[in-house]
Amino acid sequence: MKKNIKKGKITMIITIGITCFILVLVMSMQFKIVNQTDITSIENMREAELRTEFANWKSKYEDIEQQYDETMEKIEEYRTTSQSNEETEKLVDEELEQLNMSLGKTDVQGQGIEVTLRETNNEEIARINGDDLLVIVNALKIAGAEAISINDERIINMSDIVDINETFIKVNGKRILAPYVIKAIGNSAYLETALTGNGGHVDEMKKIGQDVSIEKSNKVKILKYEGEINLKYIQ
Amino acid sequence: MKDNHNKKILDNKKVSIVLGIMCFALTLAICIQIRSVEYTNSIVSNNYEENTLRAEVLKYKEKYDNKYNDLEKAEKELETERENSTKNNSELIDKEEKIKQANKILGLTEVTGPGVIVTLSDSKKDANSVLNPSTLLVHDVDILGVVNELKNAGAEAISINEQRIIPNTAISCGGNIIDINGEKVGTPFTIKAIGLPEQLAGLSRPGGYLEILKNASVGADLKKSNNITIPKYTGVINYEYAQTIK
Repeated sequence: MKKNIKKGKITMIITIGITCFILVLVMSMQFKIVNQTDITSIENMREAELRTEFANWKSKYEDIEQQYDETMEKIEEYRTTSQSNEETEKLVDEELEQLNMSLGKTDVQGQGIEVTLRETNNEEIARINGDDLLVIVNALKIAGAEAISINDERIINMSDIVDINETFIKVNGKRILAPYVIKAIGNSAYLETALTGNGGHVDEMKKIGQDVSIEKSNKVKILKYEGEINLKYIQ
Repeated sequence: MKDNHNKKILDNKKVSIVLGIMCFALTLAICIQIRSVEYTNSIVSNNYEENTLRAEVLKYKEKYDNKYNDLEKAEKELETERENSTKNNSELIDKEEKIKQANKILGLTEVTGPGVIVTLSDSKKDANSVLNPSTLLVHDVDILGVVNELKNAGAEAISINEQRIIPNTAISCGGNIIDINGEKVGTPFTIKAIGLPEQLAGLSRPGGYLEILKNASVGADLKKSNNITIPKYTGVINYEYAQTIK
């Protein structure tokens, strides 16, 4: 009798042990799957996200369609002018001019805003640092800025904005001095709200007492990049 | 003795009930597991509106991909056509070379070269173990900072999760994902940069940006490589407001 009871107990312990083991296994599997779920995948998006995604892809499609048509046109032009050097040169020059504009090697003008950041004399207020400028430039790009400069230093593809010893700022490797004037070309209303809207960087700077002003204009002029862009490591 | 015996029978009953409940729970867990495996990455919601939208997005994505392939072919054709038209004139060959160079700088062609690969990932630490769980995540400003430092170290081309950085590229935060070139990317973030590897590796210097991130227990890793390929930008650069002044 006593033996029997002992046997029953052991079976029970083993059964519970196995059950717990399986339970833990299942749980860890579950966690793994939750981890693997790709939050950037379309299947997991909600309606609002899907709407922006839709608008995004639609405009991207329209852009690329236009680009395709333009490229086909250029091919056609090269074919018809291949006999004449002069006309080919014109085409090549046109292409180069477009690219130079994207590179920041031409002066550009258009609708946009001018942001002026002044240092205050009050020592309790933090100085304007490189990260402020970096965040503002990024916010302007989010709002669709097509060209940007800081104190007439044009922001190009590989422009850097760094703070040296928390005393001065370098843009494109050149020292710039306060007041900082950031010019940007694009839809001036979008550009302004990107900075002054609730939580915008200019909004936050003003809250801590820094002196920032924004001016909209229909004729913002941005100067070209003066340096040379050389590639040494790209093959 | 009989009393004792009765007690044992009662004990056995209790055991059976406990085992029964456990088996039930187990079956339930397994069922849930199988269901969630089946439904992960397939449609989560049955909302009609969402499904239509999803289908629309996929349709445009496909249309975009097709057009993109056409465009790629057309661009190659344009290049050969341009080469053919310019090959008889040394001045034009020069300009043609400049066009190619500009496309490389702008991110309109795929490029290869030596450089570094930086990987940033959210911390694996328990979010309840720190005062501010936000410090365990990779933020848009962290990526912005790393990219800015790479530019400072002379990077010639940069990509984040295969999204090429072009002059207009913005890095914005969209909740727990980050938006680059209008594409959504998630952690881990792989940032590739071409340039002098030794100089770019300065990013991991003591007191540098990577160390700051590591101290916040965010995963930050840097690897040098002699052969990095950075893809081209898969969109279009166009201007609506800016005009060249002559």
